[in-house]
Amino acid sequence: MVSEKSQFAVETFGLTKIFGDWWGRSRVVAVEDLNLKVNRNEVFGLLGPNGSGKTTVIKMLLGLLHPTKGRALVLGGVSRDPKITAKIGFLPEESYLYPYLNARETLDFYGRLFGLNSKVRASRIDALLDMVGLAGMASRPIGTFSKGMARRIGLAQALINDPELLILDEPTSGLDPIGTKQIKDLIVELAKRGKTVLLCSHLLADAEEVCDRMAIMYGGHIQRLGSVDELLKQTNKRQITTGVLTEDTLQKIRSIVEKHGSEFEVSEPMQRLESYFIEVVRQAHKEKRPTSGAVNRLEATQADATAAVSDVLDRLVSAKVETQKQTEIKKAVETIAIEPDKSVLTKLTQSGDENLTTPVSKIDKPVPDTQKSENIKKNILDELVGRQGLAEDEKNG
Amino acid sequence: MSLSAGRGWQRMKKMGRIWAVARNTFVSAVRMKTAIVFMAMLLILLPILSLTSTGDGTAIGRVQSFVSYGLGLVSFLLSMLTIVVACYTLSSDVKHKRVYSVVTKPIRRFEFVIGKALGVILLDLLLLAVFSGVIYGLTIQMPRFAKTSDEELVRLKNEFFTARASLKRTIDEQALEKQTDDVYKELVRTGQLDESRSRESVMAELRNAAKYNMYAAGPGGTVLWEFKKVRPFDANESLFIRFKFNAAQTPADKSLYGVWYVGDYRQIQGGPETMKTPIYQIPRKDVVGTMREFEVPADAVAADGYLAVGFYNEPMNGTTVIFPIEDGFEVLYKAGGFGGNFISAVLIMFARLVFLACLGVSLSTWVGFPVAILCSLTIFFTGVINGFVVQSFDYLGQNLTIFYSVTIKPLIWLLPKFDQNYNVNKYLIDARMIRFGFLMLAAGVLLLKSLILLLIGFFIFAKRELAKVVI
Repeated sequence: MVSEKSQFAVETFGLTKIFGDWWGRSRVVAVEDLNLKVNRNEVFGLLGPNGSGKTTVIKMLLGLLHPTKGRALVLGGVSRDPKITAKIGFLPEESYLYPYLNARETLDFYGRLFGLNSKVRASRIDALLDMVGLAGMASRPIGTFSKGMARRIGLAQALINDPELLILDEPTSGLDPIGTKQIKDLIVELAKRGKTVLLCSHLLADAEEVCDRMAIMYGGHIQRLGSVDELLKQTNKRQITTGVLTEDTLQKIRSIVEKHGSEFEVSEPMQRLESYFIEVVRQAHKEKRPTSGAVNRLEATQADATAAVSDVLDRLVSAKVETQKQTEIKKAVETIAIEPDKSVLTKLTQSGDENLTTPVSKIDKPVPDTQKSENIKKNILDELVGRQGLAEDEKNG
Repeated sequence: MSLSAGRGWQRMKKMGRIWAVARNTFVSAVRMKTAIVFMAMLLILLPILSLTSTGDGTAIGRVQSFVSYGLGLVSFLLSMLTIVVACYTLSSDVKHKRVYSVVTKPIRRFEFVIGKALGVILLDLLLLAVFSGVIYGLTIQMPRFAKTSDEELVRLKNEFFTARASLKRTIDEQALEKQTDDVYKELVRTGQLDESRSRESVMAELRNAAKYNMYAAGPGGTVLWEFKKVRPFDANESLFIRFKFNAAQTPADKSLYGVWYVGDYRQIQGGPETMKTPIYQIPRKDVVGTMREFEVPADAVAADGYLAVGFYNEPMNGTTVIFPIEDGFEVLYKAGGFGGNFISAVLIMFARLVFLACLGVSLSTWVGFPVAILCSLTIFFTGVINGFVVQSFDYLGQNLTIFYSVTIKPLIWLLPKFDQNYNVNKYLIDARMIRFGFLMLAAGVLLLKSLILLLIGFFIFAKRELAKVVI
């Protein structure tokens, strides 16, 4: 076997998973000949449309599925080995928790599975509940939690053992924008402290923000792999970003550029990864690569696609654009209704503020002061990660 | 030193993990409404039962029927609860994918399975302790609920609130065989045998005749039973002789006269001066064809545990008295207390629940809840009529011996036995002592079977692809 000090956090060798039917005949090729290498101390994103095999890869890494062919090493060993699982934190695609247990009991249960002693457990549970903003609901049964709250507990249980490798399957699903932001900050922060994060997501903007490297999967294969810069940089083009220019100025620039024999295009900056992602999937679709997942209608241009989606929505949702406004207002009311939840979050992100309840009027400014939030998060993380992380930070600084 | 300390730490951590799963299972089961409903049902039903049980109307009948129905109810309901919880706990974790975030922690899969079984067993232990305590308390108090005469109280003390060992006559098969063989040779020598008959059929006939003669007495004849290793609890207590006899020609009043002799029969040969223990002489008149019981002081037993019981058939009966072979003559004597016997009975019930818990958990390592519960219920009810099942399979299996003995027989052995000798209610009702050896055997066999089931479960669960969707 490979030694403990394997240079990769995750390494797969020709990993293949073919799901058979009841008679054992091959039916669906979920993952085929996957050779994935995730370096230590990086945030790696596994992206792809539904059914592209992302979750299957993760399940094989964790021993929840057996590979049909090939093998996978996690932290240089097999994930069935308790020595390896002791260093892994895993958040499944949905929070599968015991509904009868309350938040504290839940975390205590997982802490016991790691063999943490009661003192360590108690202090980590307090810190984690604080971090995910559920300290006030520690004694409520999980069964009564909303999806987002259960997700937070799920994240907390993934962090209870101070893992070296954190495997997050759709970490932001079901979370509100603040929770999403928190998780992203957390991932970045953990990476700074020498942890490896393997992330599975559809939410491209999120992945783009936090990932060092990423792979885009389709039909069980990796279509593209590389760092975010490598993948998204268009080498044959240059982009100049300016403020708003008058038509006159634009004409002048156009004449200069055309004099040098290059093309000139004026546009407003747009979301980059999303278009790239769609392009990759569209190309794979065009090449008629097999997929066991959903096959979307992929229109030739973005405008066509938008129109198509609009068409579908018109058919699906009876309310038209005018009535949508009412729905939005209703949503705003709901936001106020879940105010207590947010007050806890505010507490989380505002250090040392004794005023726990935030007035309703403050809600329209939900993004708190980043510096303060950084402080408290660091405090909690220090507690969770221990001195090692601190020392590394100091070296880096 | 440090190595062994490290190992000890590892073992403690392992126990900690198993304990975490067990605790979680227990807590989930307790918070499940079904467990509460079962408990409430029992807590309401048992006191009502203690007030409404009448039996045959006597004090002893009331207590007997309460213990019988009460323990039967508790045993049945706890068995059902165990089956439901054991089948549910692991299969629901798999179905609802909770197992994903458990088996990816540093816990071995067999530890998870043990933890699950242990959690259900803990629940059983708690519930059984509570409800058997309730039954015991109510049983002890029951004679005070209704007016009970002193005579009835004495009968209760002697025939219910006690644990009696039972001695049954045993036939010395070797001596019997030798005796019939001698008779056969004599018949052959004197040429009294029909040439066409086989030796087997003649021997069988002779054997039956010899057994019949052993426990039959003509007018003025005697029948003698001898017992060894009789150990009464206290020489001041009593022996109880239970018997049933038939008459070759039933007399008009259906009753026969006889004299019973109980004591150390060997002393008669030594003469009156060697008499150390008394020999009691009891003349009685009893109805034929019904089970009768009479009491003799326990000091009749010799110091070495020898006891003989003789029956003298009064010549005035004018008929042969037959003690039927199948309807056993037995001597009962106090060998323990009701409390100890009650605990033994509860322990056997507990072993049964442990078996059901392991069965449910083991089954749900590879099938879902509906299939697991169906199988468990089938096995439970098969256990209730085990004697019948084994007999019918033995009968069918006679012609396919090898195939039968390697395939079906081990499977049938795995089936639990809850009936016949293993029906613990019968022991308490008849105030029969559950012997320590029997307790160990009954509980030990069930625990061994539980272990085998768990091992099968470990193997399947360790190999299983937990994230595979099975439709």
